[in-house]
Amino acid sequence: MTNAQLDTPVLILGGGVAGLAAAVDLARRGVAATIIEREPRLGGRASQFCCKATEACARCGACRLGELMAQAAHLPQITIYTAALAVAAQPRGDGWQVELAPQPNGEIGPGPGRPLSERATLNAQAVILAVGGEAFNPAGKTRFGHGRVEGVFSALELEAMLAQGALGPKAMAPAKVAFIQCVGSRDASLGRLWCSRVCCGYALRMGRVIRGLLPESEVTFFHMDVQDYGRAWEEELPELRKQMRFVRAMPGEVTAGDGGPEVTYALAGEQAIKEGFDLVVLSVGLGPPNGASALGELFGAAKDSDGFLTADGGPAGVFVAGAAAGPRSLNESIVHGGLAASQAASRVASLSEARHG
Amino acid sequence: MAKVSLVWVATPGLDDLDPALVAKAAGMALDQGGLLEAAVVTTSQEQAPKQLRQRLVGLPVAWLELAAEVGGGPEAHRLARAAVAVSRAAGRAAKGTLPPVYAPQPAQSVLVAGAGYSALAAAWESAALGHPVTLATPFEAFDQAGADDDPEAVSLMAAQLPAQVELVPHSELTRLIGGAGGFNVWLSTNGDAPQTYGAVFLAPPGELAVGCEVDGLDPALCCPVSQLNPEDYQAPADGWLHVAVLAGTAEPVPSYSFSAALDAALALARRPRVQVTLLYSEARVAAPGGEKLFRDCREAGVLIARVATGGLQVRADGRELAWLDPLLGEELELAPAAMVLAQQATASRPAWLDNDLLIKPWGELVPDNPRLAGGRTSRTGLYLTGALRGTAPGDARRAEAAAAAAAMHEVLTGKVVPMPVVRDSFCASCLTCVRTCPHGAPRYAVEHIQCAPAACLACGACAAECPAEAIAPPGWGNPEMFSSLEWGLALAAEPKMVLFACAASGMPAVASLSAQGHEWPAGLVIYPLVCAARMSQVLLLKALELGAKRVLVAGCHPGNCRSVTGNHKAMAKIASLSGDLAALGLPPEAMEFLPLAANQTRELAQKVAAMAQGLGEE
Ligand SMILES: Cc1cc2nc3c(=O)[nH]c(=O)nc-3n(C[C@H](O)[C@H](O)[C@H](O)COP(=O)(O)OP(=O)(O)OC[C@H]3O[C@@H](n4cnc5c(N)ncnc54)[C@H](O)[C@@H]3O)c2cc1C
Ligand code: SF4
Ligand code: SF4
Ligand code: SF4
Ligand code: SF4
Repeated sequence: MTNAQLDTPVLILGGGVAGLAAAVDLARRGVAATIIEREPRLGGRASQFCCKATEACARCGACRLGELMAQAAHLPQITIYTAALAVAAQPRGDGWQVELAPQPNGEIGPGPGRPLSERATLNAQAVILAVGGEAFNPAGKTRFGHGRVEGVFSALELEAMLAQGALGPKAMAPAKVAFIQCVGSRDASLGRLWCSRVCCGYALRMGRVIRGLLPESEVTFFHMDVQDYGRAWEEELPELRKQMRFVRAMPGEVTAGDGGPEVTYALAGEQAIKEGFDLVVLSVGLGPPNGASALGELFGAAKDSDGFLTADGGPAGVFVAGAAAGPRSLNESIVHGGLAASQAASRVASLSEARHG
Repeated sequence: MAKVSLVWVATPGLDDLDPALVAKAAGMALDQGGLLEAAVVTTSQEQAPKQLRQRLVGLPVAWLELAAEVGGGPEAHRLARAAVAVSRAAGRAAKGTLPPVYAPQPAQSVLVAGAGYSALAAAWESAALGHPVTLATPFEAFDQAGADDDPEAVSLMAAQLPAQVELVPHSELTRLIGGAGGFNVWLSTNGDAPQTYGAVFLAPPGELAVGCEVDGLDPALCCPVSQLNPEDYQAPADGWLHVAVLAGTAEPVPSYSFSAALDAALALARRPRVQVTLLYSEARVAAPGGEKLFRDCREAGVLIARVATGGLQVRADGRELAWLDPLLGEELELAPAAMVLAQQATASRPAWLDNDLLIKPWGELVPDNPRLAGGRTSRTGLYLTGALRGTAPGDARRAEAAAAAAAMHEVLTGKVVPMPVVRDSFCASCLTCVRTCPHGAPRYAVEHIQCAPAACLACGACAAECPAEAIAPPGWGNPEMFSSLEWGLALAAEPKMVLFACAASGMPAVASLSAQGHEWPAGLVIYPLVCAARMSQVLLLKALELGAKRVLVAGCHPGNCRSVTGNHKAMAKIASLSGDLAALGLPPEAMEFLPLAANQTRELAQKVAAMAQGLGEE
């Protein structure tokens, strides 16, 4: 039996914001593309995020996913397969030949794209790896008690809780919330020597959302440094400092106390303090994609010293977009998808020029 | 003093309007000062008696007709709109401020005005998409970099420029009008003659400024990071040289500036017997490699001192630094032999952007709006990139240029262009549409409004604001909208409700709820809008007139509107109708604005359910 043949000028692996933006930008340039998404539905990480607007939009970018999905669904140049995985790839002619296998797990969610039903072969002149980064699993930082201590959540869990309305006056109403920053980032003991760029921003935004939902709540922000994200944000920081308690200390541990989790921390030159909270949120960072090595092997893509994928020094015709190439916010990933689209499009154009003389 | 005649000709459609009130409104506008003989005629030119037309020959005349069939809404509203139309038209005619004539010629060509990496990248990306490109730079040469650029990357990019890029050195953009597909552009190298371009990229050269360090430092000791030559720092034969690197203590610097300061600190620390102290308030390590660089500095022997923001004191005529160390709780002092200061990239905003005579046409061009990321502005076809937008040097600028060029290409080659329909005979030339359009489509072109090709996004702001109901994107005029609303409401069950949903927020939320099998109340009519900017008082009242008991407008959160203020406009219109609701005996919640993001499906479902429940209880 021969495989179904799904040839395309540009193959995009990953249907998160970066992959979708690359596809939309390619269509704008008149170049067709096929998105292959491993999961049963498109959207990547952002599909679990809440809106962080209070009186005004907090510029978190989460709602741009909806816009991109709608555009991708309507553009005739874009083909989307979900629940599909690239299992083999080899250079062939000017481009790549990729074997795709359907992924049986999971039910099909609503949204654009259809699941891959059978094994298929795909030839493409350019490949964009937009497989995203992995969120740090907080279980890897045992002293913060995730999974052991009740009331300790990862920021990803908090995003979903806020999106589903699980926090608020009528649902769970925590009075004291702590955010612990840099969990799985800037951490030599884990060998993760990078700042994840996005977690200061998302934590402060979610802290403000909680203060908006529950004005009596107290939000504490345990951090080393606050990173910059956008010009207007800098002007908002003084206001945020009034709304929340900024504690410049990295807690030593989180333990189960009588009424909830207890955070142990020490201020400079002082004795350690143990303080009880109702909710402790671990602001997990972004790391290299889980399958980076597998993908790296498949497409011969290079990795940087932190393990993120990079197009530099890799084979011709393979490009990287979004958080797979290093920690990036949603808006940065969308713009970065545009860069990969430009690179892929100029490769497709130069190949067809070479072919037609 | 100006002699202005207001000619009032009663037409069947206007018989019920109060001429005195209209004249009063017109007079108020005229009082604000105009020195020209002008006439405002409240009938259409075609319908005016020949005599009248002859009398007005040679005068700047503004014609206005409010036709009965599009009047809509209660009389008070029609009157108010008529008054606004007449007063604006009269005011403009009285001031004699006839706007510059706009001559559109659909153009595919692109002007890139600027210098440095961002400008070259924009030129390269646009040329690669097949557009003729003019690259106008204030510099002598095209490989000359902005102060914030990497000169090597810039000359590499300059060497790669395709042949179809026309280079114009020593040239500044002095003035710009128009919209996508037809910008009129004045370049200093071109004298008074404007040229037409389809799209414009502004990427002025970046400058590095020490905008972020404390006052009162002795300038003789200070060196900005970009001018640092580590070789110049020689320790005395018998001792150490102390150098302080100030990396944002008065206020924190952006991460790329912090990384540059770390680079400087590291280079100095590797010099023999040079002791470097790095002072900062926030370690901005978010740039790629920033955290590693920070650790490398520590390992190379840089003393790292955190200072509370604004907590660095300057003493001894700017030669000594003092701060409170948060770890030791003690005051520390340093008298460095030299100080290196972190810098931040900026670009000056072209003066003409703030200086258009008649209409301030550009609005807020760089709002921190997620929908206007990647170089885009609210003005279709105009892109701002690089330091002017605050984008970090390097890869991010290339990505921004690529994303902006793809958007530009789509705008100029798009198959379906929703050209707004302008009914000349209704138009009062009041220029409300020119002022309101967030995307720069309508322009005044001698006695009528002409729309720039490709600029219109069909947001409908013009249709909502035009006092004469003369302009609307196809399908979004009052007659069309009224009839589909009527049709929808006729089919809906009692109690009837209308949800006007914006395409960027309300509609995606509706669509994902529907895809999940959500059941909407039987009386709900969902009316999709391109933008909440389309909501006008007339439309809101029409929904009530046609039997709706509740009207909900679901638009973007403030700060997230692609048309910048479409949501604010809708909110303002709803607020302005509170008195009318009371007069109609309706509660305030009969008309509401729901700020929403595309992912807030739960909030939308809850609001609609609450609305239906409230009606059920009534
Ligand atoms: C807790 C948390 C909160 C955050 N909050 C914010 C925020 O508020 N604002 C913000 O701007 N950013 C935020 N971020 C960052 C944001 O998640 C990323 O910027 C963004 O998701 C990156 O988009 P992407 O498309 O590169 O990757 P992803 O969104 O991760 O998408 C990658 C896609 O590729 C698919 N995929 C993976 N491997 C394969 C494969 N081998 N084959 C095919 N498909 C594959 C995945 O299933 C996924 O759909 C947050 C991150 C975290 C962890
Ligand atoms: S950008 Fe974020 S905060 Fe703003 S509307 Fe969208 S989801 Fe909400
Ligand atoms: S963004 Fe903030 S929380 Fe995240 S790693 Fe960087 S400093 Fe830590
Ligand atoms: S089309 Fe424009 S200029 Fe003419 S009446 Fe309407 S708003 Fe005024
Ligand atoms: S519909 Fe919107 S974009 Fe089009 S002309 Fe009217 S105001 Fe401008």
